[in-house]
Amino acid sequence: MTILEGRGLGRTYNLGSVPVPALDDVHIKIDRGEFLVLQGPSGSGKTTLINILGLLDRADEGELLLEGQPVSGMNEDSLADLRRDRFGFVFQTFNLIPVLTAMENVEYPMTLKAVPRETARRRARELLSRVGLAGKEDVRPDLLSGGERQRVALARAIVNEPQVVVADEPTANLDSRTAASVLGLMRELSDDRHVAFIVATHDPSVVAMGHRVVTLRDGRTVGDP
Amino acid sequence: MSVWSLALRNLIRNRRRSVLTGGVVMIGFAAFALAGGFMAQSLEGLREGTIRNGVGHLQFADAREFEPGADATLEHGLAGAHEVERILGSDAAVLEVLPRIDFVGLVASGNRSLPFLGVGLDPAPEARSMDLSKTLAAGRWLADRDQRAVVLGTGLATALTVGVGDTVTLLATTADGTLNAVDASVAAVADIPIKELDDRFLATSLGLAEDLLMASDRVSKFVVVLRDGAEDRPALRRLLDALHARGFDITGKTWEELALFYRQVRLLYFGIFGFMGIVLVAVVLLATMNTMLMAATERTREIGTLRALGTRPLAIRRMFVAEGAILAATACLAGAIVALAVRAALNHSGIVLPPPPGVTHGMPLHVKIYGVAYAAGAVTMVLTMMLAAYVPARRASRMPIVEALAHV
Repeated sequence: MTILEGRGLGRTYNLGSVPVPALDDVHIKIDRGEFLVLQGPSGSGKTTLINILGLLDRADEGELLLEGQPVSGMNEDSLADLRRDRFGFVFQTFNLIPVLTAMENVEYPMTLKAVPRETARRRARELLSRVGLAGKEDVRPDLLSGGERQRVALARAIVNEPQVVVADEPTANLDSRTAASVLGLMRELSDDRHVAFIVATHDPSVVAMGHRVVTLRDGRTVGDP
Repeated sequence: MSVWSLALRNLIRNRRRSVLTGGVVMIGFAAFALAGGFMAQSLEGLREGTIRNGVGHLQFADAREFEPGADATLEHGLAGAHEVERILGSDAAVLEVLPRIDFVGLVASGNRSLPFLGVGLDPAPEARSMDLSKTLAAGRWLADRDQRAVVLGTGLATALTVGVGDTVTLLATTADGTLNAVDASVAAVADIPIKELDDRFLATSLGLAEDLLMASDRVSKFVVVLRDGAEDRPALRRLLDALHARGFDITGKTWEELALFYRQVRLLYFGIFGFMGIVLVAVVLLATMNTMLMAATERTREIGTLRALGTRPLAIRRMFVAEGAILAATACLAGAIVALAVRAALNHSGIVLPPPPGVTHGMPLHVKIYGVAYAAGAVTMVLTMMLAAYVPARRASRMPIVEALAHV
């Protein structure tokens, strides 16, 4: 079942006064529980596409449908609510909130949904344990290793039980062993919780784990997406 | 994780910057509180001085007596003075009723004569409620309502070369327009702080003034001193109603309506301190806005993350504004402690401010704890800081998320 669909997506950035096309007429579908890998060389449009699919950016052309409903015309607040309720994000540089502990970072998306404090605590603790960080709940991000930070980010991404998790180069800042461990975890979560993962990467080990791989070149999909 | 908790942690994270920004607000608040306290103290001193230097809380006279230029002796004097005095004194809010006869004339000693500004008064209640009897440089205050004696300003006494115990002759035009003269002894010499008045001042008993002016049961006006806590305007209305009910066509005014100098000084103070306040707010606003702009810029990526996770732009702005409010409130608390410490130091310093124009004595520097200035200072600083935080927060919260996430 298709959860997210992009029809003819296009995006052009302005470099000074020069328009630079980053994405051109991209058609893409993502199914529930699918582990989709976007690959391609630098500048191919992976990040642009993943940002549009994750509702972080708007396409100049085309249409994005979430469970068949167009989202292009929504205002900022509605898009923020959709991201909060139905999306999770894993960034290359982890992007944890430095003033919050590991537990609080995981709790944060739940506070946006006004989940009762005790429930949020319990769920955050469970997830941190699930990603192998039991005992690190009260540690601040700057005292965690890269792999641990990305695990916290992963727990944060799935804490609101999203339908889609968007991950942009999630293993780029990790050593190969840690990367494999984080990837395994992502794949497990995808399989166990039927969460769709859209992962942009250069990493062949990530590509190897995808249910499906979409290749981008010069802002266009190569082959059949 | 409340917005306040997050704001507090961000403030603690950037401790040095928070301390510096808070320092600006703290100094701004302390300056506001101290300036307000000094202004309040000065105005209160001036108010008390005005009331106790002869104006009293209320004055009652013929309406024409209050008009400019109405200075001919008892031209519009009040008849039935004893009855008016009784009516005024019967009100519970009234502490003292002071009958006064204002007159002008010449005072002579030997072959010297000089013009004077005279006042006939009831010595006992005047001594109880006014400061004139406390300004004596030599001699003793008038003993009773009929004593044939005068109190001269030191300037006038010096010019006449008379001292306590000497005899002077007073010459004045009576209420009927004829000339009359009486002799009186100099009971005391008073040190009047305003030099021009000191050179012309003469006070005498009501009885002697009545004899000189040949006016019985008539006075220029009544000065009323109210008990502590009594409000002047309601008392004025009540007393006028009582007088009108008994057929006296008398007008009354509050001390504030009569004290032109006080009103001018107050206006001047409000102008000066108002301008200072605006400058202070502008300085604090610019200094803190710059810091908050730095804070927002440094945290652009973090803001992008928060927005990616589903935080609405309004919540981002709220977080920064909360930071501003917490910082300002804390700084105001510290500022209050600083202001109290500086106040204590100033009040114990013994610094005497130079005398204002026309006044012979300087005023000791004293700063009051003026609650309104503290409250207004706190509100102003918190609002200023919130505004300083809001502007960069608004800018940051409107930045495209992908741009914020890519910010280095």
